Amino acid sequence: MVVASCMSVAHAQNPIIRNQFTADPTARIFNGRIYLFPSHDIISPVEPEKRWFSMPDYHMFSSTDLVEWTDHGVILSQEQVPWGNPKAYSMWAPDCVEHSGKYYFFFPDTPKSDTGQKRGFGIGVAIADGLFHPQFVPQEKPIAGVSGIDPCVMKATDGKHYLFWGGGGLNVAPLKDNLLELDGKPQRINGLPEGFKEGPFAFERDGKYYLTYPWVRNNGGTECLAYAMADTPMGPYTYKGIIMKESATGCWTNHHSILNFKGQWYLFYHHNDYSPSFDKNRSTCIDSLFFRPDGTIVEVVPTKRGVGISDARKPIQPDRYSDIGNGAIIEYNDTTDYFKGWKTVFAKQGAWVRYNRVDPKSSCAENVCLRVRTTGKTRFILRLGSYETVLGVDDTRGEWQETDIRVSPMPEGINDLTLILKSNGPAEVDWISLTENPREKYFMKPAAGNTTPDKDGFIRRWMLLEPIDKPNRSNTVFTDSYLKEHLGRTYYDGQNNTFPEDGQKVIAGEQQLTWHAVESNRFNVKLFRFATGLEKREYGVLFHAATIIDCEHDIADIHLSAGSNSASMWWLNGKEVLLLSGDRRMVKDDVVSPRLKLKKGRNILRGAIINGPGMSDFCVRFIDTGGQPVTGYKVTLE
Amino acid sequence: MKKIFSIVFLGLPLLSTAQTGQPWIHDPSTLAECNGKYYTFGTGGGGLISDDGWSWHDGAERPGGGAAPDVIKTGDRYLVIYGATGGGLGGGHNGRILTMWNKTLNPSSPDFRYTEPVEVASSDGLEDNDAIDPGVLLDPTDGRMWVSYGTYFGNIRLIELDPKTGCRIKGNKAIDIAIDCEATDLIYREGYYYLLGTHGTCCDGVNSTYNIVCGRSRQVTGPYIDNVGRSMMEGGGKMVAGAEPRRVGAGHFGRTVIDDGVEVASFHYEADFDRGGLPVLAIRPLLWKNGWPSVGHPFQEGTYSILSCRREYALELAVDFVRIEQKNRMGWHNIDPEKPLEIIPDLTLDEVRATWPAGEIGVRTGDNMYRPHQLWTIKAMPETGGYLSNPYFKITVAGTDRVLCATADMEVTSTPVFTGADSQLWRIEQLTDGSFRIMPKAIPGKEGLNKKYVLYSIGDSTPTLAPYDFGTDNSKWKFF
Repeated sequence: MVVASCMSVAHAQNPIIRNQFTADPTARIFNGRIYLFPSHDIISPVEPEKRWFSMPDYHMFSSTDLVEWTDHGVILSQEQVPWGNPKAYSMWAPDCVEHSGKYYFFFPDTPKSDTGQKRGFGIGVAIADGLFHPQFVPQEKPIAGVSGIDPCVMKATDGKHYLFWGGGGLNVAPLKDNLLELDGKPQRINGLPEGFKEGPFAFERDGKYYLTYPWVRNNGGTECLAYAMADTPMGPYTYKGIIMKESATGCWTNHHSILNFKGQWYLFYHHNDYSPSFDKNRSTCIDSLFFRPDGTIVEVVPTKRGVGISDARKPIQPDRYSDIGNGAIIEYNDTTDYFKGWKTVFAKQGAWVRYNRVDPKSSCAENVCLRVRTTGKTRFILRLGSYETVLGVDDTRGEWQETDIRVSPMPEGINDLTLILKSNGPAEVDWISLTENPREKYFMKPAAGNTTPDKDGFIRRWMLLEPIDKPNRSNTVFTDSYLKEHLGRTYYDGQNNTFPEDGQKVIAGEQQLTWHAVESNRFNVKLFRFATGLEKREYGVLFHAATIIDCEHDIADIHLSAGSNSASMWWLNGKEVLLLSGDRRMVKDDVVSPRLKLKKGRNILRGAIINGPGMSDFCVRFIDTGGQPVTGYKVTLE
Repeated sequence: MKKIFSIVFLGLPLLSTAQTGQPWIHDPSTLAECNGKYYTFGTGGGGLISDDGWSWHDGAERPGGGAAPDVIKTGDRYLVIYGATGGGLGGGHNGRILTMWNKTLNPSSPDFRYTEPVEVASSDGLEDNDAIDPGVLLDPTDGRMWVSYGTYFGNIRLIELDPKTGCRIKGNKAIDIAIDCEATDLIYREGYYYLLGTHGTCCDGVNSTYNIVCGRSRQVTGPYIDNVGRSMMEGGGKMVAGAEPRRVGAGHFGRTVIDDGVEVASFHYEADFDRGGLPVLAIRPLLWKNGWPSVGHPFQEGTYSILSCRREYALELAVDFVRIEQKNRMGWHNIDPEKPLEIIPDLTLDEVRATWPAGEIGVRTGDNMYRPHQLWTIKAMPETGGYLSNPYFKITVAGTDRVLCATADMEVTSTPVFTGADSQLWRIEQLTDGSFRIMPKAIPGKEGLNKKYVLYSIGDSTPTLAPYDFGTDNSKWKFF
């Protein structure tokens, strides 16, 4: 059974979310699944020169293993908050708790200036019935009597909920059972060492209450994470020590939450790894946290490796190492786009990096894929526990290349992976993966000149346009009339009267899109993988395809035959010849045109393929009236 | 041949022909029998139990959640296999297939305990596969165990398990065997392996086009080819089950062999129009023709001639044959083309029943003339229970209360009044060749439910009760 997908965005390693900023991470467990509620740092669109905190909305993420994180998309944005200033970009650190089968999302925001509220922050609540496709509905007004930021709601052993927040220090107040009103006067938490404090996170363990918080312990310094303990939710709290030291690279803030998952405690915190020169764009990290027998917390040293077991079939980033030495260093892949991550630079022979806890997930992994950049023939030693093999890599002449290397079967189970440069350096590695077979390559660059259809008549050489956004959540809307309207429409200049060139750009609405010349390595054209490969949107999109068919003479009484996932429409020489409507899977010879003629000379075949949540592809060929493939023509893109 | 009345019933609620109780399920596993009860597990955990195969209720227990499980009995244990994730259900396409054993499927048994689940396959979310929706086959020819799994997200894959442990065979590499499918199942029959996949739109209630298709192969590893020679790797597939009137969206096939030549398919309909559009368990006869399976319809109530396959003689009361008077028997040589031709009415029940004795009347088979003593009304009696494909039926001479019943001396007769006795209730099952077997629910003087003796043509004109044998037309009947 398949349901429309959310986006899987990351796996393991710090930072854990690699395509957007995620600050102030609050992690919670609901029904056995881990949910992450960070705030969403962006570069301020309104006052870029100000370069300050800017947070327009909240995304929710979830995971079952701390390794694979799913982005559920925006769950609340500043325009939706009735009492909030829709242009304030001040959706700071949130929290979410489950109560009586509903989900209560607590968030700071700045009030509209005309509501009579005094300046500063309020704390709002939005309620959702479930978290599958959550619809958080914000309350009309913020919680009365609370002014501040960084809410944290703790359920104490007495069943009562307590709201902690930051503002002029740290504060706490009991909540009524509706979680929407205070049930008593707020109290300032006193008796802690001096210094700026915010971002409280409170929890209970073995009958003790822990209040943990970012703290500027040195005047003029940056934030560390500290904690205090108490016997009751409201305190008094006694300072106990430091959970994490100040950022070694100067990220001013830190903000955190602490979670017990399957018996292990974890610290969620943030750091500006993807924004080294601007510390207001932060990213969530996780490391394990341990308690001493007396209940005190062992200081957590931040790692790049983070937590969890990495699925070795996916790209493993040795630059997120657990240990490194002998001349191996880490650098950004692209200092103009830090989200492109890091690489490991092996400066000299013997340089090494170790990445712990990888799982090949197979008893027959025999393929190592390295994304690597070398000058000259290079050899690495790969170790997995006691297994060792040599990986020979050709000279990539200074270009990044993905290289598949056959090796003897690698051991099953979880092992540490070590990569050592055996030849002379330097060499650079972006990632490594261990698989049963080389990963399928869906496309190649077409050779110059023309080609023929394949032996079964399928046309494999196409110009494909990057996907046009058509955000349909379901394929059930693809009726004949919808398709005639939306696939028959002109989206960009020259759509219907010029044949595109490889690399040509078009403007469709607000999107700039590029045409790519491709040759499919299989009978069908996997549009989904075309989009994946370009890191474009794969779902809720419209693809355009075009190719040229050259005939030495007329070929009459043939049919265009197509299968597509999902719906598609096809035009030969500008005339619509085929429509595949509805929620469709790609089936060879699914829908076939009436008899038609390929004329002597040049014929242009165009297709438009639309999809909601499906895995788009198509297969197209010409067949004769007996159903046999027609192959007596040339295919070209020139 | 004419089909009497049955058309009239189309479009009306046919509750008596759908599994009763609370049969709400999605992606039911192949039916499993445990201590006389039937079990099936569904997507999301849990499952259904039935005492008789006809009435189903909640209560089966399967931990682990996830999608489209399957279950198979091997030796004295049950192997349950399931996808732990859920096809993009907030978890991308990082699928995991797990197996676990249990000695019993009865949750109230002291032996009911699942072993720790073992992962046998997984997908990394990047590859063209989502490791959920497993279907398991224990190959009857060599005892090897195979699992097909996957969804529309890429390919359907085949792996081999060790039937003793339920673990993946070491070094076994997955093979791609189909695209465009989900909720697949593998079966073997007479030299062919069949891959059954679900195609179409899932989870869209009364608008779901979900349907079950298949391809077949001489090797379990494929290629699985459909009826027009197209591989399932090209999206091919021959239809096995689509919609039926008032129920749409057939998905997640399972095959159960009840007896030689008696098979049923279990699956779900995405929506039952007569029951709130809920997804329901369906169990239908599985028919085979030229080596291809198709799902038959539930047996429909109506008035029929019951014909023996032995000679196509009709089941009838052993009463005097009443002749129909006909004026012109002079032939067609002096027909006046201008004069209208006489319409000769059917003989009515009232014209003949007075000639019938009052008490028990024997039954026999004879030339089918569609006469009142040869027409039988078949009515479902769901309150008397049922079996895997149907409820029990009452068979009466059309227009009367006279019922067909089994006798203690293993013969059949008719008695004037229906008493509700088990000997007057009949189990009607469509066989794999399209014909039917007809058997009394119980035989007077014999313990328990009858699962052996069927209405049997011992001679061309003589029905009796005898052990069912698929190999002879003597066991088989047709309804017209």
